Amino acid sequence: MINVDGLTKTFRMDNYEISAVDDVQLNVQPGEFILIFGRSGCGKSTLLGMLAGLIRPTKGVVRVHGVDIAHLSDDDVSGLRAKEIGFVFQFSGLLSTLTVLENVLLPTLFCTYSPSSGLRALELLEKVGVLDRADAYPHTLSSGEMKRVAIARALINGPALLIADEPTGDLDVDTEFEIMELFRQLNHEGTTIVMVTHNPDLVPYGTQSYYMERGKIVGKPKTSSCENLDLKSVSHLTTRDLT
Amino acid sequence: MSKPPDFHFFRLVARNLGNRPYRNIATIFAFAIIAATFFSSQYLMSGAQQSLDAGISRMGADILVVPEDYAGAGQTVILAGTPTSFFFEDSGFEKISRIPGVAKASPQIYIATLFASCCAAPVQMIAIDPKRDFTIAAWLKENPGLRLGKDDIIIGSAIIQNVGNDLLFYGHTFHVVGVLKQTGMGVDNAVFTRFEDAYVMAEESGQKAVKKLIIPEEKVSAVLVKVNPGTSPAVVASEIMAQVPGTKTILPNGLLNAVSGQLSAITRILYGASLAVTIVSVPLLGVISAMVAHERRKEVSILRALGATKAFVVRLLLVESFSLAIMGGCIGIGVSATILVLYQDFIMHLLKIPFIIPSLTTILVQGGSALLLSIVVGGVSALYPVIIFIRSEPYESIRGGES
Repeated sequence: MINVDGLTKTFRMDNYEISAVDDVQLNVQPGEFILIFGRSGCGKSTLLGMLAGLIRPTKGVVRVHGVDIAHLSDDDVSGLRAKEIGFVFQFSGLLSTLTVLENVLLPTLFCTYSPSSGLRALELLEKVGVLDRADAYPHTLSSGEMKRVAIARALINGPALLIADEPTGDLDVDTEFEIMELFRQLNHEGTTIVMVTHNPDLVPYGTQSYYMERGKIVGKPKTSSCENLDLKSVSHLTTRDLT
Repeated sequence: MSKPPDFHFFRLVARNLGNRPYRNIATIFAFAIIAATFFSSQYLMSGAQQSLDAGISRMGADILVVPEDYAGAGQTVILAGTPTSFFFEDSGFEKISRIPGVAKASPQIYIATLFASCCAAPVQMIAIDPKRDFTIAAWLKENPGLRLGKDDIIIGSAIIQNVGNDLLFYGHTFHVVGVLKQTGMGVDNAVFTRFEDAYVMAEESGQKAVKKLIIPEEKVSAVLVKVNPGTSPAVVASEIMAQVPGTKTILPNGLLNAVSGQLSAITRILYGASLAVTIVSVPLLGVISAMVAHERRKEVSILRALGATKAFVVRLLLVESFSLAIMGGCIGIGVSATILVLYQDFIMHLLKIPFIIPSLTTILVQGGSALLLSIVVGGVSALYPVIIFIRSEPYESIRGGES
């Protein structure tokens, strides 16, 4: 589905360059739930931005369905995001001027809106458990509700891939568990997920897990919390040292 | 389940505009001020210019000759119609008629009436000799079959009477036979009658009126002169003043200059006001645009991440800006037009300029151009945020806003 080869992003700061992402290789197959761990500032989000065509790489290639997105026009990359990729941000990313239902319908403006989109939005809100808040404005929602709405919005155009950038970063443990269960359910239903997080306790949810450090994918998660993980529950963890 | 909404581009625009009331009201206000100032300037200047053209054309003369001491009063009669009475010390009319270059000369007598049944204030009566007159001759030509007979009067457009009505001046009954077209100048407040009837009215006034009217025998108030084709009115005017002592000549250009001077002073004020408004409004719009650019950076980045193209974002920002500009423009034009029409007399009195309400077409064109100006300013003010958003990498903006 997605093939990443030698992906590099450097930012120029005054007289020196910082490599946010350094020569990353990654393959995402349909139906996978990929977790990328790492500390803040290790380049996880920059990697996601490049996967979605939102950040232009300094070097390397991102192929989606075999097509190098660097060769696509802005309209085509935008179209790809609208149809194939659903986004969930660390913060809710809901527009404060729109109701919950309108927020969920927002991505249909960039795709093909049909009368069934409204019904689908309501179904998704029901699925994520916030149907009763359909007419509410985002500022009246709890953090967990906002996240659920953001997930419903990411799914409205039926994307093949869901990209989630630390979606549970600002949630309490119980809400985090609920949201991760929702992601697991979506993955079981066939949605491919790529998620970045700094919480190694989430390893069991992934079908593939990677650890990033200083812009490179260096292998499996290796934090103090990681040492306490029940390895039986993460038997599907794949360690890949790509450096 | 809630009823699924019909969500489309313009609903997004409406939501964005409706849910940011304070900023948008400030923007609409700025656009309204720009449109109102521009529209008012255009409206006042075209109305005054139109009035001036109509008034000069109504006068129909190349030179107006008045007694030396009454030059100002003569101008006032023509420009404002302020009732006044004055006469030459000696009749210079015959002398004026014989001066080389004079093609036609038409004497007039100016009489300030007492309060009359027609009007809230005294009006200016102008007695003419229909055989020699050319001031209302053009108008009479446009109304074939109409003539100024015994005790007939033709009234200016500002005198609210109908053809066929009888009016009483100094106890003498006059019959309205015609109403002149509006000029915005003095003749709108004047009543035209024949010399003979004015003399009879003066003679009867001793018995019929509360105050006797005296019109000196063989004396006139002013002489209107038309010069021969190819002859310079200025040269003839100098000759008149040289040959007929105690006279002062007024050329239409002089009148035009007097009014134009007034008009250009007002024009300067209006342009100054427009400039001041622009100087105040453009930075205000600039500040608002900068606020928009800062405040909406994350919002636009989210739209981009969800699949919006750059073209969609540009369209969204421009449509929002144009919508505010159109709303502000319409409000500004509507409010200023209402004030200008409702308080027209007061404004004209304040500005001391002749004025005719411009035609509906002219008003529409002026309104359209004021609206267009608002839209152009709206487009320009949207450029800054548009450029900022197009140049920025969306994901950096999204991440930049994280706590």
